[in-house]
Amino acid sequence: MTTATHTVDLAGIGSIEVSVAEYGPGSGQPFLLLHGGAGPQSVTGFAEKFADAHQVRVLAPTHPGFGGTARPEALSSIADLAALYQALLDRLDLNDVTVIGNSIGGWITAEIALLASPRVSGIVLIDAVGIEVPGHPVADFFSLTMDQVFQLSFHDPAPFRIDPSTLPPAAQAVAAGNRAAIAAYAGASMTDPALAKRLGTLEIPTLVLWGESDGIVDLNYGRAYAKAIPMARFQVLTDTGHSPQLETPGQVVHAIWDSAETDFSAFVH
Amino acid sequence: MPKTAVTRITHSCHLIEIGGKTFLTDPWFSTRPGYYQGEPIALAVADLPKLDGVLISHEHYDHCDLQAFAAYRDRSVPLFVAETVVPLARKHGFTNVTALAPWQQAELGGVTITATPAKHGVYEVTFVLRAGSDAVYFAGDTMLIPELSEIPKRLGHISLALLPTNGLHIRPANNMQVVMNADEAAELTAVLKPELAVPHHYAFTKGFLGDRLITDSDKNPLRFQDATHDLAPETSVRIVNPGTRIEL
Repeated sequence: MTTATHTVDLAGIGSIEVSVAEYGPGSGQPFLLLHGGAGPQSVTGFAEKFADAHQVRVLAPTHPGFGGTARPEALSSIADLAALYQALLDRLDLNDVTVIGNSIGGWITAEIALLASPRVSGIVLIDAVGIEVPGHPVADFFSLTMDQVFQLSFHDPAPFRIDPSTLPPAAQAVAAGNRAAIAAYAGASMTDPALAKRLGTLEIPTLVLWGESDGIVDLNYGRAYAKAIPMARFQVLTDTGHSPQLETPGQVVHAIWDSAETDFSAFVH
Repeated sequence: MPKTAVTRITHSCHLIEIGGKTFLTDPWFSTRPGYYQGEPIALAVADLPKLDGVLISHEHYDHCDLQAFAAYRDRSVPLFVAETVVPLARKHGFTNVTALAPWQQAELGGVTITATPAKHGVYEVTFVLRAGSDAVYFAGDTMLIPELSEIPKRLGHISLALLPTNGLHIRPANNMQVVMNADEAAELTAVLKPELAVPHHYAFTKGFLGDRLITDSDKNPLRFQDATHDLAPETSVRIVNPGTRIEL
């Protein structure tokens, strides 16, 4: 794994520094992997596993403001992050890129798809937030205790549960920064009422993966997400919660790499 | 008599020189998410030679990229198209548009343009261009259908055939096949009996995920070469890189 800091100029916002961890050979099939509110460390293990298993190139940026990085005040929406990553793909001159995003990262992925860059050939939404689904609200993250967040986020929270009060001050500061970044980008509701309708214009190959035990955004929310995107394929991940790349990374790798062999008709209803 | 020649631009987009005229087929000069040539685009719209005519088999983006082709220097260039392309062509400012149904003909400076049958996911036609004893058959991305065997009976000897070979299947549509495969293209070659056959439409890709979720296709043109060797041994097969001009 290598890490590089790229400076990207974005119209209306200015110069933005973004830290990008890179896994796998530079010549490998490219994937842009976008973390959610759990922060950049929530995708590192998956990135390593995917790159090692299939010799693919995985680029995993840290959204500015997460992981102790700085966030320019003007960079303040999911759409801004989408524009940032499209500009990054232009700067790196990458083609046939599959963008994979979990939770808020999935919402960013959906917004990237709406920008319709030919560089992005497909998207994978993993327990994404962003749309409004009547009767299936996104869990109110900001009103939950951390213990409740763990309970809703995992099929089996025990291996992942930590007591935030036992973290060293530096780690607590990073966690607070992550929380502030979530609020800045996604707002309290973590939804855009207009998103689902806008997704109806997409023509991009789309795979929607959902943990069957997700308590942050439930399975029917996931089905509604897939239904909002023409031709999207929906697949349930068993024994998995809101962060499949953490809890069952092997299932996620298999679901993406071997998707041609999957009988999706079993997952639609 | 000027030489009959073909320059593959990309995918099913060619320049065909016949009877001293130059025709463009199925223009595709850009990319979109999930639509990639899988090979270079040998000529940009601005670098195209003066065209005497344009053939468009159907309205799918990878065969009918009129948004990009509208940048061509002369939108009064004659277009010969499947009838479903007419409104799109007019929308993009092309003023000389002729719809040809199967077996209908048009003349252009000594070249006879005949639309021939096709079957695809949407309405489509194929074309035969004839000037004197030379004739070029152009199939954008049709299936092999019995009506195609009428071509030599009705239109005489074919000299050169440009054929799709990737056997494209659409996975979400019950894996429906919409383009002939290499064996079927070789069968058609055996019926048409051209001196030369050139495969196309094989490098196309929908990208990493699209090739897994949406399409299934054979990207190896050598299969057509092998199948034609068995089924139509009198026909030479040339696998042509974009930008290469070949003469009959």
